This record gives sequence, C-alpha cells and structure tokens, in this order.
Amino acid sequence: MSRAREWGRAIPPRRVDLSVRIGSLELRNPVLTASGTFGYGDEYAHVVDLRRLGGIVTKTVTVRPRPGNAPTRIAETAGGMLNSIGLENVGLARFRSEKLPRLAELKATVIASVGGETEDELAELLEALGAEPGVAAFEINFSCPNVAAGGARYWASPSRLEATMRRLRPLSPRPLIAKLSPDVTDIRDTARACEAGGADALTAVNTFVGMSIDLDRMRSRLGRATGGLSGPAIKPLALARCHEAAHAVGIPVIGSGGVAGGRDALEFIAAGAAAVQIGTATFVEPGVAARVVDEMREWLASHGIARVADFRGTFAAPAAQGCAPADARELAEDRP
Amino acid sequence: MSAPAARTWRQCDARVRAQRHFGGDFHWLDLDVPPDFETPEAGQFVQLLLEPPSPVLLPRPMSIAGAVRRARSLTLGFLYAPVGTGTRALAALEPGSRVRVTGPLGRGYPLGRPGTPVLVAGGRGVAPLLMAADALARQRRSAEFVFGARTRSLLVGLDEARTRIVKRGGRLHLATDDGSRGLRGNVVQVLERLAPRLAAPLVIHACGPHAMLSAIARWATAHGAEAWLAMESVMACGTGVCRGCPLPCSAQARERVLAAGAASGAAALRGNPEWAMCCTDGPVFEARDLDWERVE
Ligand SMILES: Cc1cc2nc3c(=O)[nH]c(=O)nc-3n(C[C@H](O)[C@H](O)[C@H](O)COP(=O)(O)OP(=O)(O)OC[C@H]3O[C@@H](n4cnc5c(N)ncnc54)[C@H](O)[C@@H]3O)c2cc1C
Ligand SMILES: Cc1cc2nc3c(=O)[nH]c(=O)nc-3n(C[C@H](O)[C@H](O)[C@H](O)COP(=O)(O)O)c2cc1C
Ligand code: FES
Repeated sequence: MSRAREWGRAIPPRRVDLSVRIGSLELRNPVLTASGTFGYGDEYAHVVDLRRLGGIVTKTVTVRPRPGNAPTRIAETAGGMLNSIGLENVGLARFRSEKLPRLAELKATVIASVGGETEDELAELLEALGAEPGVAAFEINFSCPNVAAGGARYWASPSRLEATMRRLRPLSPRPLIAKLSPDVTDIRDTARACEAGGADALTAVNTFVGMSIDLDRMRSRLGRATGGLSGPAIKPLALARCHEAAHAVGIPVIGSGGVAGGRDALEFIAAGAAAVQIGTATFVEPGVAARVVDEMREWLASHGIARVADFRGTFAAPAAQGCAPADARELAEDRP
Repeated sequence: MSAPAARTWRQCDARVRAQRHFGGDFHWLDLDVPPDFETPEAGQFVQLLLEPPSPVLLPRPMSIAGAVRRARSLTLGFLYAPVGTGTRALAALEPGSRVRVTGPLGRGYPLGRPGTPVLVAGGRGVAPLLMAADALARQRRSAEFVFGARTRSLLVGLDEARTRIVKRGGRLHLATDDGSRGLRGNVVQVLERLAPRLAAPLVIHACGPHAMLSAIARWATAHGAEAWLAMESVMACGTGVCRGCPLPCSAQARERVLAAGAASGAAALRGNPEWAMCCTDGPVFEARDLDWERVE
C-alpha cells in the first residue's frame, strides 16, 4: 500500500488550507523567515513576494546599536555554517524611525525580534514598540550564542526566563514568542518556564554552539573561538529539540533549524510545530521560503490533507515510535 | 563614493559555456546567464552556487572579469584559482553544466572619475581589472595598467591584459618580486616611478592581496591620489543581510556614517560606524574609508 493512501486521496493543491494560528496571530501559511537571515525585511523584497510568506522575523534589535563582532564572522562546515555576527543591529531608535515605516509598506506580516542583556532592556524595547501597529508579534531572543552578556547562557535559567516573561507579558497586546537555545540540559524546562511566564508561543531553536579550528595556523576559523551552527547540519538536532518542546507545552511551537525544502518543514510540523522558520537556506537561495510554501502545499495535496493544521503533531500521535517525551515528562516531574 | 550598489541583483540559472586553463593554476570560466541579467560593472561580483549534490553549502563569491552581450545571452567571464573544495568542484564542471548565479552584486569601480586612471593588479586580482580595462577602452580613455606578482608565472592573464590594454592605446607596466619579468620590485615602486609622468590627479583602481592593497592605500594617501580597492572577505549571503563580511571603517568613515545616521538618509540604513560590509558597501572601497591598521 502506498504511503499516500494512508492519508487519503489526492486533492487539488489550491484546496489546501495552509493558514495557522500562533496565539492571536493568524498566519496565511506556516513559513516564516528566521531572525538575522532576512535583514529588516526589505532587502529581499525585490526577489521574493513577501505576501506569499507566512511572515518575516526581523533581525534582532537591541536598545543601543551594536556594531557586532570582529572578523572573521563566518565559516563553512560540513553541511552547515558557523557564524559569530554578534547581534549587529541599528538599535531601537533607528529601527523605529527608519525600519518600521519601510516594513509597513511591504504588506508582510512582521514579527519583530528583540534582544537584551537584561530584563530591563527587554522591558524598554517592549514599552517602546509594544503597541506599534506595524508589528504583528514579537520574538524575544533568549538564545544568541555570540554575545558575552545577555546571550544564550544568561537566559538558560528557567526561573530567570519565567520571571522575565511575567514582567514582559503585560507590556504589549501582541503575541510574545520566546526563542529558545538548544544548548541547555533539557529544553522542556526552558520551554515550560516561558509558558508559565505567559509566552504565547516558542521558537525552537536558535543555532547550536560550534567550533572550527584551522590546524595549520592553530586558530579558530572565526574571529572568536565559537560561533552558532546552522543549516542542514543541524536539522536532526533541531527537530528533536522542537519535538521535545512541543510535547512539553500547550502553546504553539515554531520549528527552526536546517529547513531548506517543503519536506523539511513538514517534518517539523509532524513533530508538533505549528510553523517553521527558514534561515541559512535563504543565503543559498533567496527565494527558498516561497518555494517551501509551494512544496508543502503540493505534498499535503498529494496526500489528501486539506489543512496543514491537521497535520501538526501527527508524528507523535499514533505512531508508537517510542515517544520519549511523554515518559520523560513524568521523570522530569519526579525530579526534586 | 563608488558606483551605487545594484538593487536589481537576482538569482538565475547559468550554463557553463567554456572552461579553460589560463596559465599557472588558473582557470577561465565562461557562463551564459539570461539576457535580462543586468550588465555588471567592473569590480562587481556574483555568488556562484553549484548544483546539488554540491560538496559545499554556501555560494562562492567571484569577481566578474568579462561580460559579453550576445543576442540571446550574456556571457560572464571569471578568472579563478581552484584553492579549496568549492572552487575545485567548479573547475571540474564541463561545458553545458548548470550553475546558479546571484548578481550582479556590490559596488564596482567608479571609472568615470576625473583624473588619470591607473589600474593596478596583483596576481589573480587582475580579474576585475581586465573588465575595467575593457570599460575604459569603450569610453576611449587610455589607461596605465600596472601588473605585479611574485614571479612571472603568476602574472596570470598577461596576454589577455596586453590585448585589452595595449591594443587600445594603454600602457602595461610589469613588476615581479624576483625580477623574472618587468621591474624587480612591487607595484608601488612602479607607481612611484610612473606618477611624475602622469597628469594629476591619479585615480587608482586596484585589486590583489591585502598587503598590496594596504601599501597602495598608504602610497595614495601620501601622494594625494585617489585609490579604489577591491577587497575580499568570507561571505554567506553576498547581499548585506547576514552581516558576515565586515571590514574595519576608518575614523573618517565612522564620522560620516554617524552623521548620515542622524540625518536618516536611505544610504545610511545599513550604516555601521565600526564595520563596513564587503559585499554591499564594497567590494570596491575608497582607501581612506578603511582602517588599514585593522584590515586582516
Ligand atoms: C568579492 C570577492 C571576489 C572574489 N573574486 C575572486 C576571483 O575573481 N577569482 C578567485 O580565484 N577568487 C576570488 N575570490 C575568492 C574566492 O571566493 C575564494 O577563493 C573561494 O570562496 C574559495 O572557496 P573554496 O570552496 O574553493 O575554498 P574553501 O574550501 O572554502 O577554502 C579554501 C581556502 O580558500 C580560502 N578562502 C575561502 N574564502 C575566501 C575568500 N572569500 N577570499 C579569500 N580566500 C578565501 C580559505 O581561507 C582557505 O584557505 C573572491 C572573493 C570575494 C569575496
Ligand atoms: C548569520 C546569522 C545571523 C543570525 N542572527 C540571528 C538574530 O539576530 N536573532 C536570532 O534570534 N537568531 C539569529 N540567527 C539564528 C536563526 O534565526 C535561526 O534560528 C538559525 O540559524 C537556525 O535556522 P537555520 O538552520 O534555518 O539557519 C542567525 C543565524 C545566522 C546564520
Ligand atoms: S556576505 Fe552577508 S552581509 Fe556580506
């Protein structure tokens, strides 16, 4: 029996409903661009029709402008890339006065990524931008591996995450999405902490801390010793973290890590993600996100699945494939 | 300011038209891109992406060394050295193979500047200057072409350079470190000798190893010449988005970016007072905009 028959008869692709909800946010499809890989939104507007995407997540903005790290900032590795950009961005004032007005013209669903070294800085950002009409939601970057202060290590503490989310939640009427680092002992702990603090959704995951040494010169291929690993190389890792997070919380989870095609995206959805983000693949193929939308639609249509929302979490459900998260959750709850 | 960065870059399929050895370890690659590909300027580059299964993930930046328009295509020429996994795979491509091209990218040489154009190439840095020589010839401006390398075999594309320069009334000046061809010495020594014979101001357009470009930058500053230098950096996106290809700004460029930021001009939208992005602020930079003490 063919796989397609397990789902149902093929339907015309145009009949597939790709819309998804992330809290109060309605997306026309589940494909978003990942923060830091699509600029502030307008750089690719002449090659990608932004209205075909579920939305765009802007480069993480911080209160003060950041110049970023010294070179070398990029190194290619097997199936992936390491970056140590260091959150280079124009800062809150210029984001507000220059970038947001431009984004408003693009008619895309805009999710603004915000980052801070402390709870106070994040609060300042949300106080300033929280009610901006051009921003549909906020993604809070709790997970940059390339900054000394306020990076993934600082935000690895569940109690700190929960307290911060509690403080931030009332500052904006828009959905707040917490972006998590994969480099924690158990992502279910950070995921639950954000949910408890009032996050409307999660993004799982940011880049993995990685390293590459040039043996001939006995120095790092990056200007810093470590960087964040992204691209196809991390997809299986990211998928596992996303699956764990999605089964640990009741809020929607957005998958991120190595998506480069429609089938990659659908793996994340099957694992429990409500939507996906595409990062590194955009550097290889600027129009990749729109292609992923088309490929998802085709695949769902050929398997007779009329709503992508129905496909979400289908992998974990009856598959009886040793679904660790449920058992592990009990173990986690037993812990002192 | 150098030529404005192209906002009309795009990604398209290209076909290998020809691939040949070009002396030493160098290759010349001709790629046919669709005719609506924007005509590139000398100094601009493209990102070349190999078809799957490719041994590398990211595209590889490559200067455009030639552009020939035909009825139904535009042929772009590249001069490159197979140095690693990606460029070795490129060198293995046969005519007819497919490659993806994103471009044209970056800002090229401002060849229309008033003054005497002097093109200076070091080793494979000759690639964008071959195209610059073509462009100047089309403008019917004769150019001085200074070409340097460690030894004669590294004067890659010397015949090509001679054809483009000398046949159009320009003059070729050679230098090798070991004296095996032309002057024994480097391109800056050639500039030193040449300058008194040329009408000021000199407008230098150069590409080559960073050490050479840094020496030219210092010479130009000391002699009141303009210098436009094509730089390299490791790149991912090539389009200004990833912020991965920084070069250090000079104090003067920093002030200009800060002033423009306050005035909120569109040109300053990407402005970072500390780092300029090689791919969109360059690859051709005016010498005084970079901090040569900190260029790696
Ligand atoms: C704007 C621009 C224009 C360029 N134009 C040309 C050109 O016309 N002809 C040409 O031969 N090369 C050119 N290069 C360099 C070319 O991009 C690199 O040689 C290429 O990326 C190496 O890829 P690889 O996979 O073969 O090497 P890898 O396997 O990635 O690395 C092999 C070696 O190449 C070095 N390398 C990697 N990337 C670069 C880089 N960007 N610049 C310098 N060295 C690098 C590495 O440090 C390493 O030592 C240009 C680079 C830039 C940024
Ligand atoms: C060059 C680069 C810059 C990034 N900058 C940010 C950033 O500013 N904020 C953020 O939350 N994530 C940032 N990321 C992480 C991506 O958003 C994404 O989560 C990660 O790259 C994994 O997805 P991918 O494998 O599809 O790239 C960056 C990634 C890259 C490669
Ligand atoms: S290569 Fe991405 S910003 Fe220059």
